[in-house]
Amino acid sequence: MTRMWRRYRALIIILAVALLIIYVITRGMEPKVWMSILLSGVTLAALYFLLASGLSLVFGLMDVLNFAQGAIFVTGAYMGLSTFLNPRLLFNTLPFFLAIAAGAVVTERLGIVLWRRVDTSQRRRILWWALLIVSGIIIVLALRGFPIRAINAFNVVAVGGTVSTAEAQEPLGIMFRRMAILFAGGLVFGMMLSPKERHEERPRRPLWQTAAILIALLVLGCLLLVGRDVGETFMLGMSSDLRFLLAIVVGAAAGALVGVAIETVLIRPFYGNPVTQLVLTLGLSIVMIDLVELIWGEEGNPPMQPPSFFTEACRSESLFAWFSENCRSLDVMGRAFPTYRLFIIAVGVVVFIAVGLLLQRSRIGMIIRAGVQDSEMVQALGINVRMVFTFVFALGSALAALGGVIAAPFLGVYPAMGNIYQLQAFIAVVIGGMGSYAGAAVGTLLLGLARAFGDHFVAAGIDLPFLDAVIKGSPAIAQASSVLIMAIVLLVRPAGIFGKKE
Amino acid sequence: MTNVLEVNDIHTFIGQFHILEGVSVEVPDGSITALLGRNGAGKTTSLKSILGLTPPSRGTISFKGAEIQGQPAHQIASKGIGYVPEHRAIFRDLSVEENLKIAERKKGDLAQRADFIFGIFPDLKRLIKLPGGNLSGGQQQMLAIARALVPENRLLLIDEPSEGLAPVIIEQVMDAVRQLSAHTTVLLVEQNFVMASQLADRYTIIEAGSSVKSGLMADLVDDEETIRRYLGAA
Repeated sequence: MTRMWRRYRALIIILAVALLIIYVITRGMEPKVWMSILLSGVTLAALYFLLASGLSLVFGLMDVLNFAQGAIFVTGAYMGLSTFLNPRLLFNTLPFFLAIAAGAVVTERLGIVLWRRVDTSQRRRILWWALLIVSGIIIVLALRGFPIRAINAFNVVAVGGTVSTAEAQEPLGIMFRRMAILFAGGLVFGMMLSPKERHEERPRRPLWQTAAILIALLVLGCLLLVGRDVGETFMLGMSSDLRFLLAIVVGAAAGALVGVAIETVLIRPFYGNPVTQLVLTLGLSIVMIDLVELIWGEEGNPPMQPPSFFTEACRSESLFAWFSENCRSLDVMGRAFPTYRLFIIAVGVVVFIAVGLLLQRSRIGMIIRAGVQDSEMVQALGINVRMVFTFVFALGSALAALGGVIAAPFLGVYPAMGNIYQLQAFIAVVIGGMGSYAGAAVGTLLLGLARAFGDHFVAAGIDLPFLDAVIKGSPAIAQASSVLIMAIVLLVRPAGIFGKKE
Repeated sequence: MTNVLEVNDIHTFIGQFHILEGVSVEVPDGSITALLGRNGAGKTTSLKSILGLTPPSRGTISFKGAEIQGQPAHQIASKGIGYVPEHRAIFRDLSVEENLKIAERKKGDLAQRADFIFGIFPDLKRLIKLPGGNLSGGQQQMLAIARALVPENRLLLIDEPSEGLAPVIIEQVMDAVRQLSAHTTVLLVEQNFVMASQLADRYTIIEAGSSVKSGLMADLVDDEETIRRYLGAA
């Protein structure tokens, strides 16, 4: 008993204080009011959690503060939106990525010949940067003049119109030329990624496999291009629910790919140098948001249409009734609550449980938990901890992007949508204890509730027992509530609620 | 008797600091070899360099006859080297069982060698479900050694197994090392000369980053001049 108390003392105190505050705020409030505030808070918490879980795991395992997490959230939202409204964008851009990947596959294998000729580590570093810059220039040149905005004019579609296909797209001939140049850019890029030391040479893929991957990538790219009109018509012909599901899959997959790219290109060369990594991800987040604005425009889009399960114009009396009625809102103690927000909560809970099971039950989860404590020892056991790093980074990015997609019908989609969520996720991770998965969950829950109750406090005021008048907060206090909570928690427990003392 | 491990004139930098300036060690098959020397002489760095955790910039290391220097640590370890680091490095949040299981290189390693491991460390069987962080220092040391025994290792690198332990526990640890040395070769770093001299067959002395003397432990025990010069008053 005393051991339990000692172990969970801080958590119990913090929860007790939180409950007390909630009690004071909700005193005299009707249950239906605070219930709906509570649910709003949990909705926010679910979204925060999708960003925070990845941040926490990535920090715990590799000491990397990933400031690009918010940008990945935004990218996920836009990828989802494009998949949902305007599949044309996918058909016109995916082949480009495939072309780059195809080029990289070729030289990833041959690059070792180049690296063998460069002996000193300084020259290698110069060569690495030179390859990065040259491949970047080739890729930029290849994409010069690409009418991305016209292809992307889906606002028109969103309000019910259609864009005529012919003028928005480039002719196939020009597209193929762009692909060819991008393939060349991929060749240079692949050299950068190829093994640099003889011992790093992986057990070589047999030649036929390299050739098969190369051909598969190129054929798939060309097929997507040639079949772009057919494909677009087909996808727009799907039911919107199916497209929503597809949007989630594409968004999360895009997030995972972006995560792998960030980890391998920007993070991996700088392990043991956390400041460089931090500044790189910070810079990258700015570049990513600029790219998003370049591709999708600065103005933002109205909320995405939720699946039809959440759109019928009615109010279900119970969750059970909702299953057949698919109403837009649900009756919670006499007040309407949007059912789509319940879906967000459900996704948050499912992700929390699924990732928790992965961590507790699988071998890779065991390795992650061990690596959070001592990644050097994990490596000394013969485990390739770098591969685990890449996996965790991809997982965290996929969850953030997934958060972006499911937030799209709730928040709308605009380039700055990630800012406040990233900030809140960071604060939640600090509150919960850097590197702790359970901490990320508790921290996000605290912040979500604080935000929801804070907003209510600003709007309606609190009737405190020892004051005559109702006091009202300024809007700033609702926003500052998370920082206040962080300050209080860190005073009691400097390492966060579940943090380990270092 | 062939050498399982041959370290030949390695130099290691950590940041700007030239920590190892020429360390050579030979570890014959089946032996217990002790690395001796004062605090900060470079014994721990020598073990880490062998394993590739702090890769040497010069010199060669061959294990089972093949050169391994410059390879990433996980590849070197997978060739059959177990590591019992200073301060044990037990995974606190993992249970004792998980601490053992994570060391498996192929599925079933633990099940296959459970009898051998729990034969040496019968206490661990009783603690199997506890978090590693709840174990006492001595139990953690046992667990750290047991963890290195889970996969089929040809060589164990054991760093300061007696550090911070009560004399009774040190006896148990020594006993365990003696038992496992019947199955595998050991390279041991030990400050406690009494313990090292009782366990080891051979020694190498490291002084200020270079290996200065090596030979049979039996000869060193009588060589008071060398002991005074390199190991202090012990």
